[in-house]
Amino acid sequence: MKSTAIRVLILSAFVAAPFAQTNSYWLHVFCVALIGAILALGLQLLVGMAGLLSLGQAAFYGIGAYVSASLTMHFNVPFLLAFVLAGVAAALSSLLLAPIVRLQGSSLAVATLGFNIIIYLFLLNEEWATGGSFGMMNVPAPNLFGYTLAGERGMYFFCLLVGVIVYLSMDRLVRSRFGRALKAIAQDEDAARACGISINLYKSKCFLVAAFTAGIAGSLYAHQAHYLNPNDFTFNKSIEILIMVVVGGIGSMPGAVIGALIVVLMPEYLRSSGELRLILFGALVVVLMGSSRGGIAGLASMLGDLFARWHTPRKSAPEDAMP
Amino acid sequence: MSVEQFIQGIIGGLAIGCIYSLIALGITMIIRATDILHFAQGEILMIGAMTGLSAVWMVGLPFVVVLMIGMIGGGVAAMVIELSVYRTLRSLRVPLINVVVSTLGVSIVLQNVARLVWGSEPLRYPILFSKRGIEIGGFAISPQLIWIVVLGFAMMALLQLFFRYTRLGIAMQAAAQDPEAAQLMGVNVKRITTYTFLVSGIMAGAAGVLLGSLFFASFNMGFLVGIKAFVAATIGGLGSLTGAMLGGMIFGLIETFSGVLISTAYKDAVGMVLLIVILLLAPSGIFIRAGRRI
Repeated sequence: MKSTAIRVLILSAFVAAPFAQTNSYWLHVFCVALIGAILALGLQLLVGMAGLLSLGQAAFYGIGAYVSASLTMHFNVPFLLAFVLAGVAAALSSLLLAPIVRLQGSSLAVATLGFNIIIYLFLLNEEWATGGSFGMMNVPAPNLFGYTLAGERGMYFFCLLVGVIVYLSMDRLVRSRFGRALKAIAQDEDAARACGISINLYKSKCFLVAAFTAGIAGSLYAHQAHYLNPNDFTFNKSIEILIMVVVGGIGSMPGAVIGALIVVLMPEYLRSSGELRLILFGALVVVLMGSSRGGIAGLASMLGDLFARWHTPRKSAPEDAMP
Repeated sequence: MSVEQFIQGIIGGLAIGCIYSLIALGITMIIRATDILHFAQGEILMIGAMTGLSAVWMVGLPFVVVLMIGMIGGGVAAMVIELSVYRTLRSLRVPLINVVVSTLGVSIVLQNVARLVWGSEPLRYPILFSKRGIEIGGFAISPQLIWIVVLGFAMMALLQLFFRYTRLGIAMQAAAQDPEAAQLMGVNVKRITTYTFLVSGIMAGAAGVLLGSLFFASFNMGFLVGIKAFVAATIGGLGSLTGAMLGGMIFGLIETFSGVLISTAYKDAVGMVLLIVILLLAPSGIFIRAGRRI
């Protein structure tokens, strides 16, 4: 009951944001933050739930963006269909990674990074399909049932809607049999295998879902920015998404959203500090890594515990300690 | 492909391969000692290149001294970061992935500090070697490339000797193989870890001066090279020193030859495809490391 109230409160804050801040540049930044949150939610499933360190999410993001842009521009596909197909294309391309999901830890990270570089080079060099280093210009604004989302505010609400749907689906997914199986794999692969969980199948499925999420985020980005450039989809972007997840707190879905907001908004707020802003941002990442086990989400729950302990009478404290 | 092109490809590939090997060695040493994937290793290389370049500007020293100063710059930078950041994080007992992401934060900080100090324009290294090609068996070879290969190999040989014959080197090996046992044998594992960062920084600093003398030095020269060195270390088998050396060489040769034979646009992709294929055939790389799993 309490958590529902908090959720409604947070959602209304998101709904109110574009009315509180009407500057179109800031609305654009908020959109980017929401898209970042969708990306981080996808990676959270991989890193936080299944313990798979992927450094290739930007590849799926790029595939989604370019597929969506080309479908709407060159084949006159309606936006919503292109949006879904972008996710599907990214998911299908993640099947290319199916053989490498059985790799462990660091090797998987480096292999997905290699995949990201391959996709980036494809986007950069195949000019017939992607426009090469000039990119794709004038990607149309999304058209929903004859109504064009021309303004930043309309786009913001569409991103918010998609974000909420992705969040709720991830939330359900984590609690399902699928989510429990992923957690089991993250904790102990051999034990999970002994319980009858097909490790590689579940890992591939996990990649598939994360790639689909990144793909639709890419579609949103394409129609929000109206311009695509291969440089937006380098492994730097993958690393940025990883920072979002880890800063927000590994294993926490709200954490992924908070992490995305921090990573996108913080450099904007630090803009006044000029050349120092990225130094401050990097230092902030380092400090956050040391500040608690679970990033911002961990910090929040730690503070929450402190607050609760301070509020409850001492007598009841031993009860809390009981399992 | 003519014989001349082939020989030039070999020399060029080995030269760039030496640079990858030197960084990959540092990355591997750090993984062995701490399990950290050190994404800031490329930035240590950049610091090495920049300090070397500053030494040239200030006093215009001979190449060997410039190389030394670059090595010191890289080594000191790596050691300072280890002492101030990674050691603190380890003592807070945060999960490993937090430390790995903190190396990305360190990399962002180092790049932007370097941009403040040395500016954002690529800086040209002065000509440290004579430009005139050396004739070997009727083929003209750039003396610069030969120097890089010779110095790179010398440095790797020295590292091997260091690991085999010095007390510190042996202690490092012991601490990497089994920290608890090494501690019981009287090795100060904490201090040895710091020295590991120092040695890996020295290697990266040397690589920085060599790479800078080949192309140019800029604040963002390191990151991509660092990533490629990671791939090279993984090809060799993350955690094996021999693997890191050979992985770097193989990666340099493949990059150079796929640039000549396939296409310059996709030369990086060829290495990545090779990486994925090798990991599929031998998930632990070409050289499987005995002992602790990462």
